[in-house]
Amino acid sequence: MKNRIFAIAVLFVGVFALLAFTVPQEKKKGGPWEIPAEYKSMENPYKGDASLDKYGKQLYSKHCRSCHGNEGKGDGPKARNLDTDPGDFSDAAWQESVSEGELYFMSIIGRDDMPNYESKIVDDEERWAVINYVRSLKQ
Amino acid sequence: MKRLITILIVLGFSGLAFGQNEESKPKDKAVWAPFESGYLIDNQTTVVPTAKTLEYIIQHKFGTMDNGFSDLFGLYAPGANIRMGLTYSVIKNLQIGYGITRLNMYNDFSAKYTILEQTRRNTIPVAVAIYANIGVDGRNNEVFGENYKGSDRFSYFTQLIVGRKVNDWLSLQVNTSFTHYNKTDSLIDHDKISVGINGRARFSPQSSILFQYDVPLKIKGIAEHREFTNPSKPNLGVGWEIRTSTHAFHIYVSTAAGIIPQHNAMFNQNDWMDGDLMIGFSITRMWSF
Repeated sequence: MKNRIFAIAVLFVGVFALLAFTVPQEKKKGGPWEIPAEYKSMENPYKGDASLDKYGKQLYSKHCRSCHGNEGKGDGPKARNLDTDPGDFSDAAWQESVSEGELYFMSIIGRDDMPNYESKIVDDEERWAVINYVRSLKQ
Repeated sequence: MKRLITILIVLGFSGLAFGQNEESKPKDKAVWAPFESGYLIDNQTTVVPTAKTLEYIIQHKFGTMDNGFSDLFGLYAPGANIRMGLTYSVIKNLQIGYGITRLNMYNDFSAKYTILEQTRRNTIPVAVAIYANIGVDGRNNEVFGENYKGSDRFSYFTQLIVGRKVNDWLSLQVNTSFTHYNKTDSLIDHDKISVGINGRARFSPQSSILFQYDVPLKIKGIAEHREFTNPSKPNLGVGWEIRTSTHAFHIYVSTAAGIIPQHNAMFNQNDWMDGDLMIGFSITRMWSF
Protein backbone atom coordinates (compact mmCIF):
# COMPACT_ATOMS: atom_id res chain seq x y z
CA MET A 1 0.00 0.00 0.00
CA LYS A 2 2.79 2.39 1.01
CA ASN A 3 4.62 1.66 -2.22
CA ARG A 4 1.50 2.42 -4.24
CA ILE A 5 1.03 5.79 -2.51
CA PHE A 6 4.73 6.55 -3.05
CA ALA A 7 4.44 5.65 -6.74
CA ILE A 8 1.38 7.86 -7.18
CA ALA A 9 3.13 10.75 -5.42
CA VAL A 10 6.23 10.36 -7.63
CA LEU A 11 4.01 10.21 -10.72
CA PHE A 12 2.12 13.32 -9.61
CA VAL A 13 5.30 15.31 -8.92
CA GLY A 14 6.82 14.08 -12.19
CA VAL A 15 3.83 15.14 -14.26
CA PHE A 16 3.75 18.50 -12.50
CA ALA A 17 7.46 19.05 -13.13
CA LEU A 18 7.08 18.04 -16.76
CA LEU A 19 4.17 20.44 -17.24
CA ALA A 20 6.19 23.24 -15.69
CA PHE A 21 8.74 22.85 -18.46
CA THR A 22 6.34 22.28 -21.33
CA VAL A 23 3.38 24.62 -20.71
CA PRO A 24 4.29 28.05 -22.12
CA GLN A 25 4.65 30.63 -19.34
CA GLU A 26 4.62 33.67 -21.56
CA LYS A 27 1.48 35.41 -22.68
CA LYS A 28 0.59 34.91 -26.30
CA LYS A 29 1.52 37.70 -28.66
CA GLY A 30 -1.29 39.61 -30.31
CA GLY A 31 -1.52 39.05 -34.04
CA PRO A 32 -0.70 41.75 -36.57
CA TRP A 33 -2.87 44.86 -36.34
CA GLU A 34 -5.28 45.61 -39.15
CA ILE A 35 -4.95 49.35 -39.39
CA PRO A 36 -7.04 51.37 -41.86
CA ALA A 37 -5.09 53.36 -44.44
CA GLU A 38 -6.39 56.67 -43.09
CA TYR A 39 -4.62 56.00 -39.79
CA LYS A 40 -1.44 54.62 -41.37
CA SER A 41 -0.84 57.88 -43.18
CA MET A 42 -1.84 60.09 -40.25
CA GLU A 43 0.73 62.72 -39.24
CA ASN A 44 1.43 63.75 -35.65
CA PRO A 45 0.81 67.52 -35.52
CA TYR A 46 2.39 67.71 -32.07
CA LYS A 47 5.56 65.74 -32.78
CA GLY A 48 8.43 67.17 -30.77
CA ASP A 49 6.16 69.53 -28.83
CA ALA A 50 7.94 69.57 -25.47
CA SER A 51 5.10 71.50 -23.83
CA LEU A 52 3.02 68.30 -23.93
CA ASP A 53 5.61 66.14 -22.17
CA LYS A 54 4.32 66.52 -18.61
CA TYR A 55 0.70 66.09 -19.66
CA GLY A 56 1.59 63.06 -21.71
CA LYS A 57 3.21 61.55 -18.65
CA GLN A 58 0.20 62.36 -16.47
CA LEU A 59 -2.21 60.85 -18.98
CA TYR A 60 -0.01 57.79 -19.42
CA SER A 61 0.07 57.33 -15.63
CA LYS A 62 -3.69 57.64 -15.43
CA HIS A 63 -4.75 55.52 -18.38
CA CYS A 64 -1.88 53.25 -19.44
CA ARG A 65 0.52 52.54 -16.60
CA SER A 66 -1.60 49.91 -14.85
CA CYS A 67 -1.03 47.51 -17.78
CA HIS A 68 1.99 48.87 -19.62
CA GLY A 69 4.08 49.62 -16.52
CA ASN A 70 6.12 52.63 -15.47
CA GLU A 71 8.63 52.21 -18.28
CA GLY A 72 6.30 50.76 -20.88
CA LYS A 73 7.70 47.26 -20.60
CA GLY A 74 4.26 45.68 -20.26
CA ASP A 75 4.81 44.80 -16.63
CA GLY A 76 2.07 46.84 -14.92
CA PRO A 77 0.04 45.24 -12.13
CA LYS A 78 -2.95 44.55 -14.39
CA ALA A 79 -0.86 43.04 -17.18
CA ARG A 80 -1.02 39.59 -15.60
CA ASN A 81 -4.81 39.51 -16.14
CA LEU A 82 -4.55 40.20 -19.85
CA ASP A 83 -4.95 37.47 -22.43
CA THR A 84 -2.25 38.90 -24.67
CA ASP A 85 1.16 40.43 -24.11
CA PRO A 86 0.83 44.23 -23.95
CA GLY A 87 4.18 44.65 -25.70
CA ASP A 88 7.31 46.56 -24.80
CA PHE A 89 7.43 50.27 -25.60
CA SER A 90 11.11 50.42 -24.69
CA ASP A 91 11.94 48.10 -27.61
CA ALA A 92 13.63 50.34 -30.18
CA ALA A 93 12.97 47.91 -33.05
CA TRP A 94 9.24 47.90 -32.29
CA GLN A 95 9.16 51.69 -31.95
CA GLU A 96 10.74 52.08 -35.37
CA SER A 97 8.36 49.57 -36.95
CA VAL A 98 5.20 51.59 -36.23
CA SER A 99 4.26 54.95 -37.72
CA GLU A 100 2.70 57.77 -35.74
CA GLY A 101 -0.71 57.01 -37.19
CA GLU A 102 -0.40 53.30 -36.47
CA LEU A 103 0.52 54.07 -32.88
CA TYR A 104 -2.47 56.43 -32.67
CA PHE A 105 -4.77 53.65 -33.86
CA MET A 106 -3.30 51.11 -31.47
CA SER A 107 -3.45 53.51 -28.51
CA ILE A 108 -6.79 55.24 -29.02
CA ILE A 109 -8.93 52.90 -31.11
CA GLY A 110 -7.58 49.65 -29.67
CA ARG A 111 -8.73 46.06 -30.07
CA ASP A 112 -9.44 43.05 -27.80
CA ASP A 113 -7.51 43.59 -24.53
CA MET A 114 -6.53 47.11 -25.54
CA PRO A 115 -9.55 49.30 -24.69
CA ASN A 116 -10.92 52.09 -26.84
CA TYR A 117 -10.00 55.49 -25.40
CA GLU A 118 -11.97 57.74 -27.74
CA SER A 119 -14.49 58.61 -25.04
CA LYS A 120 -11.94 58.84 -22.21
CA ILE A 121 -9.33 60.95 -23.96
CA VAL A 122 -11.52 63.15 -26.11
CA ASP A 123 -9.12 65.93 -27.04
CA ASP A 124 -6.85 65.23 -30.01
CA GLU A 125 -4.00 67.13 -28.40
CA GLU A 126 -4.23 64.94 -25.31
CA ARG A 127 -4.18 61.82 -27.47
CA TRP A 128 -1.01 62.92 -29.22
CA ALA A 129 0.48 63.88 -25.85
CA VAL A 130 0.11 60.25 -24.77
CA ILE A 131 1.63 59.02 -28.02
CA ASN A 132 4.57 61.40 -27.66
CA TYR A 133 5.13 60.04 -24.18
CA VAL A 134 4.97 56.44 -25.42
CA ARG A 135 7.61 57.42 -28.01
CA SER A 136 9.80 58.80 -25.23
CA LEU A 137 9.92 55.37 -23.57
CA LYS A 138 12.11 54.00 -26.37
CA GLN A 139 15.51 52.93 -25.07
CA MET B 1 -15.13 87.43 9.87
CA LYS B 2 -14.54 90.30 7.46
CA ARG B 3 -10.86 89.51 7.61
CA LEU B 4 -11.54 85.87 6.72
CA ILE B 5 -13.66 86.84 3.72
CA THR B 6 -10.94 89.22 2.58
CA ILE B 7 -8.32 86.47 2.86
CA LEU B 8 -10.50 84.07 0.85
CA ILE B 9 -11.03 86.60 -1.90
CA VAL B 10 -7.35 87.56 -2.03
CA LEU B 11 -6.26 83.90 -2.10
CA GLY B 12 -8.79 83.04 -4.75
CA PHE B 13 -7.79 85.72 -7.14
CA SER B 14 -4.10 85.98 -6.34
CA GLY B 15 -3.70 83.13 -8.83
CA LEU B 16 -4.44 85.65 -11.54
CA ALA B 17 -0.96 86.99 -11.05
CA PHE B 18 0.60 83.67 -12.03
CA GLY B 19 0.89 82.85 -15.69
CA GLN B 20 0.23 79.37 -17.01
CA ASN B 21 3.27 77.56 -18.28
CA GLU B 22 1.55 76.09 -21.29
CA GLU B 23 2.95 77.15 -24.60
CA SER B 24 0.65 79.37 -26.59
CA LYS B 25 -1.40 77.81 -29.35
CA PRO B 26 -3.35 79.69 -31.99
CA LYS B 27 -6.63 78.79 -30.28
CA ASP B 28 -6.81 79.39 -26.56
CA LYS B 29 -7.99 76.05 -25.22
CA ALA B 30 -9.13 75.08 -21.76
CA VAL B 31 -6.37 74.23 -19.28
CA TRP B 32 -5.57 70.58 -18.75
CA ALA B 33 -7.37 68.92 -15.84
CA PRO B 34 -7.70 71.72 -13.27
CA PHE B 35 -9.00 68.99 -10.97
CA GLU B 36 -9.04 65.25 -11.45
CA SER B 37 -12.60 64.77 -10.30
CA GLY B 38 -15.88 66.61 -9.85
CA TYR B 39 -15.63 65.94 -6.12
CA LEU B 40 -13.23 67.37 -3.58
CA ILE B 41 -13.85 65.79 -0.14
CA ASP B 42 -17.24 67.36 0.77
CA ASN B 43 -17.17 69.91 -2.02
CA GLN B 44 -17.66 70.13 -5.74
CA THR B 45 -15.02 71.25 -8.22
CA THR B 46 -15.57 73.20 -11.42
CA VAL B 47 -14.88 70.00 -13.35
CA VAL B 48 -17.67 68.10 -15.08
CA PRO B 49 -16.71 64.76 -16.65
CA THR B 50 -16.79 64.43 -20.43
CA ALA B 51 -20.25 64.46 -22.02
CA LYS B 52 -22.10 61.13 -21.86
CA THR B 53 -20.14 59.95 -18.83
CA LEU B 54 -22.00 58.10 -16.10
CA GLU B 55 -20.34 58.29 -12.70
CA TYR B 56 -21.16 56.22 -9.65
CA ILE B 57 -19.88 57.38 -6.29
CA ILE B 58 -19.84 55.85 -2.86
CA GLN B 59 -18.95 58.23 -0.03
CA HIS B 60 -18.36 56.98 3.47
CA LYS B 61 -17.64 58.76 6.74
CA PHE B 62 -16.76 56.89 9.89
CA GLY B 63 -17.26 58.13 13.46
CA THR B 64 -15.21 60.85 15.13
CA MET B 65 -11.64 59.95 16.00
CA ASP B 66 -11.73 61.24 19.58
CA ASN B 67 -12.11 57.79 21.20
CA GLY B 68 -8.70 56.76 19.95
CA PHE B 69 -7.88 53.08 19.88
CA SER B 70 -11.06 52.06 21.71
CA ASP B 71 -12.99 52.24 18.42
CA LEU B 72 -9.93 52.40 16.18
CA PHE B 73 -10.15 56.15 15.65
CA GLY B 74 -13.79 56.00 14.67
CA LEU B 75 -13.46 53.22 12.09
CA TYR B 76 -15.59 50.94 14.30
CA ALA B 77 -17.71 53.68 15.82
CA PRO B 78 -21.48 53.50 15.40
CA GLY B 79 -23.26 55.99 13.19
CA ALA B 80 -21.15 55.95 10.06
CA ASN B 81 -22.63 57.94 7.23
CA ILE B 82 -22.85 56.67 3.65
CA ARG B 83 -24.01 58.17 0.41
CA MET B 84 -24.38 56.42 -2.90
CA GLY B 85 -24.92 58.53 -5.96
CA LEU B 86 -25.03 58.64 -9.71
CA THR B 87 -24.25 61.54 -11.97
CA TYR B 88 -24.52 61.83 -15.72
CA SER B 89 -22.94 64.43 -17.98
CA VAL B 90 -25.77 65.22 -20.32
CA ILE B 91 -23.83 67.57 -22.57
CA LYS B 92 -20.44 69.22 -22.31
CA ASN B 93 -20.09 70.91 -18.91
CA LEU B 94 -23.58 70.02 -17.67
CA GLN B 95 -24.11 67.25 -15.17
CA ILE B 96 -27.19 66.01 -13.35
CA GLY B 97 -27.19 63.66 -10.40
CA TYR B 98 -29.06 61.76 -7.74
CA GLY B 99 -27.89 60.36 -4.43
CA ILE B 100 -29.17 58.87 -1.23
CA THR B 101 -27.54 59.39 2.16
CA ARG B 102 -27.93 57.41 5.34
CA LEU B 103 -28.03 60.48 7.61
CA ASN B 104 -31.65 61.74 7.54
CA MET B 105 -32.16 59.46 4.54
CA TYR B 106 -31.61 62.45 2.29
CA ASN B 107 -32.46 61.96 -1.36
CA ASP B 108 -30.65 64.65 -3.31
CA PHE B 109 -31.18 65.76 -6.88
CA SER B 110 -28.34 67.88 -8.22
CA ALA B 111 -27.13 69.77 -11.26
CA LYS B 112 -23.77 71.34 -12.01
CA TYR B 113 -22.91 73.57 -14.91
CA THR B 114 -19.45 74.86 -15.73
CA ILE B 115 -20.18 78.28 -17.10
CA LEU B 116 -16.58 79.20 -17.91
CA GLU B 117 -13.45 77.13 -18.30
CA GLN B 118 -10.07 78.66 -17.55
CA THR B 119 -7.96 78.91 -20.68
CA ARG B 120 -4.23 78.38 -21.11
CA ARG B 121 -3.38 81.89 -22.24
CA ASN B 122 -5.62 83.53 -19.65
CA THR B 123 -8.22 84.72 -22.10
CA ILE B 124 -10.47 83.37 -19.38
CA PRO B 125 -8.42 83.44 -16.17
CA VAL B 126 -10.75 81.41 -13.97
CA ALA B 127 -13.23 78.58 -14.21
CA VAL B 128 -16.73 79.33 -12.98
CA ALA B 129 -19.34 76.74 -12.12
CA ILE B 130 -22.70 76.72 -10.45
CA TYR B 131 -23.88 73.76 -8.42
CA ALA B 132 -27.33 73.26 -7.00
CA ASN B 133 -29.19 70.50 -5.31
CA ILE B 134 -32.52 69.79 -3.72
CA GLY B 135 -32.49 67.49 -0.71
CA VAL B 136 -35.52 65.53 0.41
CA ASP B 137 -35.44 64.30 4.01
CA GLY B 138 -36.62 60.70 3.85
CA ARG B 139 -37.34 60.05 7.53
CA ASN B 140 -40.76 59.28 9.02
CA ASN B 141 -43.39 62.01 9.20
CA GLU B 142 -43.18 62.11 13.02
CA VAL B 143 -39.71 63.62 12.86
CA PHE B 144 -41.15 66.84 11.51
CA GLY B 145 -43.48 67.47 14.43
CA GLU B 146 -47.00 68.80 14.34
CA ASN B 147 -48.64 70.29 11.26
CA TYR B 148 -46.49 68.16 9.03
CA LYS B 149 -46.47 69.06 5.36
CA GLY B 150 -44.63 67.30 2.56
CA SER B 151 -42.70 70.47 1.81
CA ASP B 152 -41.10 70.28 5.30
CA ARG B 153 -38.77 67.66 3.90
CA PHE B 154 -37.17 69.93 1.31
CA SER B 155 -33.84 71.71 1.54
CA TYR B 156 -32.02 73.66 -1.12
CA PHE B 157 -28.37 74.39 -1.77
CA THR B 158 -26.89 76.66 -4.43
CA GLN B 159 -23.20 77.33 -4.80
CA LEU B 160 -21.08 79.51 -7.03
CA ILE B 161 -17.58 78.12 -7.51
CA VAL B 162 -14.66 80.09 -8.90
CA GLY B 163 -11.49 78.12 -9.50
CA ARG B 164 -8.08 78.61 -10.93
CA LYS B 165 -5.37 76.18 -11.89
CA VAL B 166 -2.48 78.24 -10.58
CA ASN B 167 0.22 76.03 -12.02
CA ASP B 168 0.81 72.39 -12.88
CA TRP B 169 0.58 71.21 -9.31
CA LEU B 170 -1.70 73.68 -7.57
CA SER B 171 -5.39 74.40 -8.18
CA LEU B 172 -7.51 76.57 -5.91
CA GLN B 173 -11.19 77.32 -5.62
CA VAL B 174 -13.32 79.73 -3.64
CA ASN B 175 -17.02 79.34 -3.29
CA THR B 176 -20.03 80.98 -1.82
CA SER B 177 -23.26 79.18 -1.18
CA PHE B 178 -26.79 79.68 -0.01
CA THR B 179 -28.65 77.02 1.96
CA HIS B 180 -32.34 76.97 2.76
CA TYR B 181 -34.29 74.44 4.80
CA ASN B 182 -38.08 74.59 4.65
CA LYS B 183 -38.29 73.34 8.21
CA THR B 184 -35.76 73.52 11.03
CA ASP B 185 -35.94 73.40 14.81
CA SER B 186 -37.41 76.54 16.35
CA LEU B 187 -34.06 78.08 17.34
CA ILE B 188 -32.27 77.43 14.08
CA ASP B 189 -32.51 79.75 11.09
CA HIS B 190 -33.90 78.54 7.79
CA ASP B 191 -31.22 80.24 5.71
CA LYS B 192 -27.45 80.15 5.77
CA ILE B 193 -24.79 81.74 3.63
CA SER B 194 -21.38 80.09 3.56
CA VAL B 195 -18.01 80.71 1.99
CA GLY B 196 -15.21 78.28 1.43
CA ILE B 197 -11.81 77.69 -0.01
CA ASN B 198 -10.46 74.41 -1.24
CA GLY B 199 -7.87 73.03 -3.57
CA ARG B 200 -5.51 70.32 -4.57
CA ALA B 201 -1.74 70.08 -4.67
CA ARG B 202 -0.51 67.41 -7.04
CA PHE B 203 2.63 65.59 -5.93
CA SER B 204 2.76 62.81 -8.53
CA PRO B 205 1.11 62.19 -11.90
CA GLN B 206 -1.78 60.39 -10.21
CA SER B 207 -1.81 61.66 -6.62
CA SER B 208 -2.73 64.92 -4.96
CA ILE B 209 -3.24 66.39 -1.52
CA LEU B 210 -6.72 67.88 -1.10
CA PHE B 211 -7.90 70.45 1.38
CA GLN B 212 -11.11 72.29 2.12
CA TYR B 213 -12.33 74.86 4.60
CA ASP B 214 -15.99 75.85 4.55
CA VAL B 215 -17.28 78.55 6.84
CA PRO B 216 -20.99 79.04 7.55
CA LEU B 217 -21.46 82.76 8.18
CA LYS B 218 -23.39 84.34 11.02
CA ILE B 219 -25.16 87.14 9.20
CA LYS B 220 -27.59 89.13 11.29
CA GLY B 221 -29.35 90.42 8.20
CA ILE B 222 -30.81 87.04 7.35
CA ALA B 223 -31.09 85.72 10.92
CA GLU B 224 -34.53 85.12 12.40
CA HIS B 225 -33.40 85.33 16.02
CA ARG B 226 -31.59 87.90 18.08
CA GLU B 227 -28.94 85.39 19.10
CA PHE B 228 -27.41 82.52 17.18
CA THR B 229 -28.18 79.29 19.02
CA ASN B 230 -25.73 76.53 18.21
CA PRO B 231 -24.64 78.07 14.92
CA SER B 232 -23.09 75.63 12.48
CA LYS B 233 -19.32 75.34 12.59
CA PRO B 234 -16.65 75.35 9.88
CA ASN B 235 -15.87 72.17 8.02
CA LEU B 236 -12.16 71.47 7.67
CA GLY B 237 -10.90 68.63 5.54
CA VAL B 238 -7.57 67.29 4.35
CA GLY B 239 -7.26 64.30 2.07
CA TRP B 240 -5.36 62.30 -0.48
CA GLU B 241 -6.62 61.74 -4.00
CA ILE B 242 -5.58 59.00 -6.38
CA ARG B 243 -6.88 59.06 -9.93
CA THR B 244 -6.91 56.23 -12.43
CA SER B 245 -8.48 55.92 -15.86
CA THR B 246 -11.94 55.15 -14.52
CA HIS B 247 -11.74 55.80 -10.77
CA ALA B 248 -11.02 58.59 -8.32
CA PHE B 249 -10.23 57.61 -4.75
CA HIS B 250 -10.28 60.06 -1.87
CA ILE B 251 -9.27 59.22 1.66
CA TYR B 252 -9.52 62.08 4.05
CA VAL B 253 -10.08 63.48 7.51
CA SER B 254 -12.85 66.06 7.86
CA THR B 255 -14.98 67.73 10.49
CA ALA B 256 -18.60 67.55 9.39
CA ALA B 257 -20.59 64.33 9.62
CA GLY B 258 -22.91 65.16 6.76
CA ILE B 259 -22.20 64.38 3.16
CA ILE B 260 -24.63 66.60 1.31
CA PRO B 261 -23.47 70.20 1.58
CA GLN B 262 -26.63 71.86 2.92
CA HIS B 263 -26.59 69.60 5.97
CA ASN B 264 -23.03 70.57 6.80
CA ALA B 265 -23.71 74.26 6.22
CA MET B 266 -26.78 74.28 8.43
CA PHE B 267 -26.20 71.71 11.17
CA ASN B 268 -22.52 70.87 11.64
CA GLN B 269 -21.69 70.99 15.36
CA ASN B 270 -18.36 69.23 15.13
CA ASP B 271 -15.47 71.53 15.87
CA TRP B 272 -12.06 70.62 14.52
CA MET B 273 -10.53 72.81 17.23
CA ASP B 274 -11.95 70.30 19.74
CA GLY B 275 -10.61 67.36 17.78
CA ASP B 276 -13.95 66.47 16.18
CA LEU B 277 -12.51 64.90 13.07
CA MET B 278 -13.51 61.78 11.21
CA ILE B 279 -11.96 59.56 8.61
CA GLY B 280 -13.80 59.18 5.33
CA PHE B 281 -13.35 57.97 1.82
CA SER B 282 -14.95 58.33 -1.58
CA ILE B 283 -14.70 56.04 -4.58
CA THR B 284 -15.96 56.94 -8.01
CA ARG B 285 -16.36 54.74 -11.06
CA MET B 286 -16.93 56.25 -14.47
CA TRP B 287 -18.33 54.78 -17.63
CA SER B 288 -18.07 56.69 -20.89
CA PHE B 289 -20.61 56.11 -23.63
